[in-house]
Amino acid sequence: MLQALLRGEEKMDSLEIFAVESAIASEQEFYRKIIEDNLASLKLAPAIGRIKVVLRPEDSLFQMAIVLRDVGSRVTTIDIADVDAKPVAGEIIILIKKEQYIPELLGKLWDRYGKANISQPDRWTVSISTDRPEEEAAFLKEMMVADPRHRLHENLVDFAIRVTPEGFRVRYHLYKDNRFIFVASEEALKHEWIEEAGTMLEELMEGGKN
Amino acid sequence: MAVLRPYLYTGGVHKHGLLIELLEDLGGYIIQKVITGTEVNLIMLVPEKDVPIVKKQSDELLGIIIEAPLTGVEIAVVSPTLASHHLPHSACDVAEYLRHPGANTNMIGLARGMGRRVSLSMDYERKLINEHDIAVFTFGSFSDCIINKKPKLFEGIEIPIVVTGGPDLKTEDVPGADLYVGNIGRTSHRLRKTEEVSALDNLNEKVGKIADNIRKQQAKDPLAVLPARAMKEIENQVPEIRTVLSPAPLTLQLNGLRVKLPYDEFHERLEKLEFDEGVTLSELANISRSKMKNYILIKIKSKSDVGFAI
Repeated sequence: MLQALLRGEEKMDSLEIFAVESAIASEQEFYRKIIEDNLASLKLAPAIGRIKVVLRPEDSLFQMAIVLRDVGSRVTTIDIADVDAKPVAGEIIILIKKEQYIPELLGKLWDRYGKANISQPDRWTVSISTDRPEEEAAFLKEMMVADPRHRLHENLVDFAIRVTPEGFRVRYHLYKDNRFIFVASEEALKHEWIEEAGTMLEELMEGGKN
Repeated sequence: MAVLRPYLYTGGVHKHGLLIELLEDLGGYIIQKVITGTEVNLIMLVPEKDVPIVKKQSDELLGIIIEAPLTGVEIAVVSPTLASHHLPHSACDVAEYLRHPGANTNMIGLARGMGRRVSLSMDYERKLINEHDIAVFTFGSFSDCIINKKPKLFEGIEIPIVVTGGPDLKTEDVPGADLYVGNIGRTSHRLRKTEEVSALDNLNEKVGKIADNIRKQQAKDPLAVLPARAMKEIENQVPEIRTVLSPAPLTLQLNGLRVKLPYDEFHERLEKLEFDEGVTLSELANISRSKMKNYILIKIKSKSDVGFAI
């Protein structure tokens, strides 16, 4: 998103362009519904700004170009929890505010302090016993817990495979910055098909509100 | 021979035995009995002239009785593969809906049915599908695929073929299909909108007509024994069938039945199964190993083959 801001683009709305193209209008509608359903089940809709899908069943070809929205930067501990140092007791208390990142947070804490030094008195609290509570607390506050972009990548690939017709097993995908291209076919991929998808992406980048 | 009509009874468990006894007295058959909590579903064959009596009994028990035209029909719901692209929606929705009017459905996912050029079916799969009465192929949203590419999956299928798909096509457009039903294409959501449910209703109605046609053809040269009667005899003479945990341990077909017991252990006993008239089942039917698991498949011969009917 930073690059987009540098280029002077405004913030994109979610799904501000959602285009599905196919030779037969009714089939286009069926496919649009399939894409909507899969976006919903993977909770991807908020992350996608512009999407265009072109279907050519007669060529066994599926092309998709996506421009992603800003999905948020890296998540640090302080974004999802309050960290308190208790020098007298020799421990750090972490009060969780956003539960969704607990698995990642705990994983990192276990690696650093060992499972024996970490207890969870309840769902919202993690306590760590350590000799240097204040220094460690300062470190923990800035520790990176999760990178939503990584999760997004996994979901995007999953989404692409789910919406593609099943027999189209020859696939090409490109994920760079906030751009995603996916081409799939049953036959060996032709170079121009990937180029076409690239052109679709260019159009998407230019289209929309500037 | 009395004409039997298929009916589905839904009511409370309380005193439903009265209905079963009545049916036995009238010479009808219970095909399947499913008890869920305090409710019971009975799929049964009722002699045509006695239907009012059964209806009266059902009213006394405060149950509901409706016609179930697909009773005694085993349908194969064939999906190109078992991947998440086709399941659970829409293939499972189709299979589930076909069960409403009494059919027994089996889901079959082909190993390599996906795609256009690469899709194919194996000999084993074709034989398995041919064991059923009707095959329902659930296809996707592209008319080009349905018309030009997918029909090669019908090769070697000898039973009536029903095709479901998204686009609104005519049956004649789909080579090899006996029926095409539109508006049931590939979806990733449960089929519950008005147009989707009415498409499923349409499917049930038309599959019912296909089953009726098969029955009419059969009536010209009737089976040597009613599948339902063979079923009852097996229940009486092979008590092990009661210990089988599969749903519908005895699955009725239009021209036979599937017995969900291991072939090697039980086929001889089934061959020697004796009817009151003194004939054995092997005289009236072909008993073979089913392609489904290790079950037993019984296909009853017609009267003209055997020379008599009981």
